[in-house]
Amino acid sequence: MKNFLSLQARRVYIGLIMLFLYAPIITLIVLSFNASRSRAKWGGFTLNWYRALFENEAVMQALYNTLAIALLSSLIATVIGTISCIAINGMKKRGRTIFMGITNIPMLNADIVTGISLMLLFISLGVRFGFNTILLSHITFNIPYVILSVMPRMKQLNPSVYEAALDLGASPLKAYFKVVLPDLMPAIQSGFLMAFTMSLDDFIITHFTKGPGIDTLSTKIYTEVKKGIKPEMYALSTLIFVTVLVLLVLVNKTPVPEKKIRRLPVHGLTGKPWFKYGLTGILLLLIGGGLIFGITGLDEPKIEQVIVYNWGEYLDPEVIKMFEEETGIQVIYDEFETNEIMYPKVEAGTSAYDVICPSDYMIEKMIENDLLLEIDFSRIPNAANIGEQYYEQSKAFDPQNKYSVPYCWGTVGILYNKTMVEEPVDSWSILWDERYKNNILMQDSVRDAFMVALKLSGYSMNSIDKEELRQAKELLIRQQPLVQAYVVDQVRDKMIGGEAALGVIYSGEAIYTKRENSDLEYVIPKEGTNVWIDSWVIPKTSKNKENAETFINYMCRADIALMNFEYITYSTPNDAARALIEDEDIRNSTIAFPDLNQYDHLETFTYIGEDGDALYNKLWKEVKSQ
Amino acid sequence: MNKKKFWLMGPYLFWSIAFIIIPLCMVIYYGITDKTGSLTWENILSISTPEHLKALGLSLLLSFISTLICLILAYPLASILTTMSRNQHSFIVLIFILPMWMNFLLRTLAWQTLLEKTGVINHILSFFRLPSLNIINTPYAIVLGMVYNFLPFMVLPIYNSLSKIDKNIINAARDLGANGVQTFLRITFPLSLPGVISGITMVFIPALTTFVISNLLGGSKILLIGNIIEQEFTQASNWHIGSGLSIVLMIFILISMIVSALLDKDGEGTLL
Repeated sequence: MKNFLSLQARRVYIGLIMLFLYAPIITLIVLSFNASRSRAKWGGFTLNWYRALFENEAVMQALYNTLAIALLSSLIATVIGTISCIAINGMKKRGRTIFMGITNIPMLNADIVTGISLMLLFISLGVRFGFNTILLSHITFNIPYVILSVMPRMKQLNPSVYEAALDLGASPLKAYFKVVLPDLMPAIQSGFLMAFTMSLDDFIITHFTKGPGIDTLSTKIYTEVKKGIKPEMYALSTLIFVTVLVLLVLVNKTPVPEKKIRRLPVHGLTGKPWFKYGLTGILLLLIGGGLIFGITGLDEPKIEQVIVYNWGEYLDPEVIKMFEEETGIQVIYDEFETNEIMYPKVEAGTSAYDVICPSDYMIEKMIENDLLLEIDFSRIPNAANIGEQYYEQSKAFDPQNKYSVPYCWGTVGILYNKTMVEEPVDSWSILWDERYKNNILMQDSVRDAFMVALKLSGYSMNSIDKEELRQAKELLIRQQPLVQAYVVDQVRDKMIGGEAALGVIYSGEAIYTKRENSDLEYVIPKEGTNVWIDSWVIPKTSKNKENAETFINYMCRADIALMNFEYITYSTPNDAARALIEDEDIRNSTIAFPDLNQYDHLETFTYIGEDGDALYNKLWKEVKSQ
Repeated sequence: MNKKKFWLMGPYLFWSIAFIIIPLCMVIYYGITDKTGSLTWENILSISTPEHLKALGLSLLLSFISTLICLILAYPLASILTTMSRNQHSFIVLIFILPMWMNFLLRTLAWQTLLEKTGVINHILSFFRLPSLNIINTPYAIVLGMVYNFLPFMVLPIYNSLSKIDKNIINAARDLGANGVQTFLRITFPLSLPGVISGITMVFIPALTTFVISNLLGGSKILLIGNIIEQEFTQASNWHIGSGLSIVLMIFILISMIVSALLDKDGEGTLL
């Protein structure tokens, strides 16, 4: 090759590839200094996110978990993997092929299948999800990287050296440690590094095998993707990146004696003595930390606790701290992204949640499948703060108001950019207007998308009538070429950045987006819409029902509900809290607190049964695969 | 090393049965049963519905294109890297792993910021009065995301294969009168084949099964088979169809594993 390309051309080529690889990373670094919380807008230079990062305990804890899991899993995988290589190498060809085949499975299998299959295993074994399940899963997908790195080196070894050691009187074990292992070392180290990197970067498998109260950076980021990434994450990534980069440059500047250089590329790094000491130091620190963690963990049963399972970014973290201080009850907090992900975990009962915050139709499903406990309202005096109308509305899914206490509510409507849409918006039909081709953002969830089409046709959004749904499907298919993207909570950033003219959005997001971009306006279309409620419920598997009720009661306290409202900007059903809002514009905002009597055709989602769900999902796939 | 070492297999044997084989069997069990627990082929056969077939076809197409682009980009790159001084090797190769220390989701999201209509690239283009680039939410953006995320998995194995080639063999070929092209076609390329094959599987399989990239860069308008499986599990809560489709995917993965095993008999193509 080298004859074809001049040195200059080669440099340019490498330069271009580097630009391609590092452009997103530079973007992330720039965003970490962005004063605006939205990634779509440049709000000036700031270092605040770096300060906020070190004060954010949840992120630091996630960082610790990530590093601890990456280190432990890659270490254990390295030990198991290396031992197995020795064994595989001694096998006959067939055995070797079979084992190498098995080794390839987790490497090549879709991450989602590996993740789900492990989740199924843990559920069926009744193991409690948490640090251990993540660790086991990471070891599982890390072993192959070690084996695939060590095995080729193993084959290159000269068996006579080992035999010579035996002849000279070394015991087999000693011969291994003195002769074979040193030769394998570079390969083992690069296998370890690869495993470590993979564990660090994994999201999908962790996502399916994690339990309440534990997060790695990836899962923390994922819950934030939906709500808009917090800039602290950019800051943290920048710090990690710069640290590793500095490490690299240092390695590269230190001259390496020629004979020490081995074939394996990463060895330049792992061969350095200071790297080894550094690594050992970090390890000791982590193991020490882990022990302390473990010991405090042992005391856990004595402490009163409550396990909360809530939507991502759906509660002010400060509130949890205050609750813990005031009541002495420890909160173990876990987050979910969709009702559908939450349901099987609760049904399996392996996580023993005490309080959950599902939406209307899901509560109905849970009641129907006998998964909920009746709430003792005498222990929740603050429930009186919740407006009577919201209990009325809850009867759609909880007919006797026995199982749920409303937490948040809102509508679904159209958010539009006044500079891009000139006419007044009052109907869903504008989402079918050819003039806004590629400027429309639709909701990427079955029920919400069909709600829009059904309402436009004048049908109930809980329809399971085949003909009505067929018409709705046709409408959605017709709309598909006009849609820029189907998104969930990313509507927020895209509308703030002026990426689209119209977007279907939850009212809670509208308040925030309007604050960031004053050109935006929110309307409830005249054909009617979805009025949704998310409520606190207590599942049957709860082991701390009284604490759960204490928690719900605390959430209903006016000042606490106000804090949560200000943090998440979703409408609160807590009338007492609303009265405390100082800003009159917000207190009387028609977005946050619309007078529902002014609108016709408002509905709440109900559970449409398994067959109904299956039908909707089938039709939705037909729409999306156009 | 003799057969007595078989007991050393113990830990991994146990591990692979407990955490690889049994979970896999559970997926297969879900795939071939329905909600009442009776045996059915329906979940697997549901691949033949038009929506699923289309998604599978598109996944195969996009991952094929991405793999091809990765190969075309990576091969020259890897050969340039092998001509560099030894001292720079570790540095350059780590440069390819380094982006992986920035979270995968964040990196893909950053591409959104770059590619959007009002994004960074279009700002730069409009500054130079160039026409704007509108590939976000199209299959092109998905291919770009795949190439971006999986390129290192192509570069590293090829680089390893190339750097293992004994320079004397190439010199011998040149001495015997082969020109540059002949040497490449008959010596260098065949010897680097294990790396190429391992690179192809390392790129093709994750590209085939991804759902995050298509979600974030395709605006969820383009359904890949990975998206359908993910939705069956997380939105539709129909684990049976999800598992059935996973089994179909596994068949494709199996095929590519067998092909690569046949072509790369000694398992020489390695990532590191």
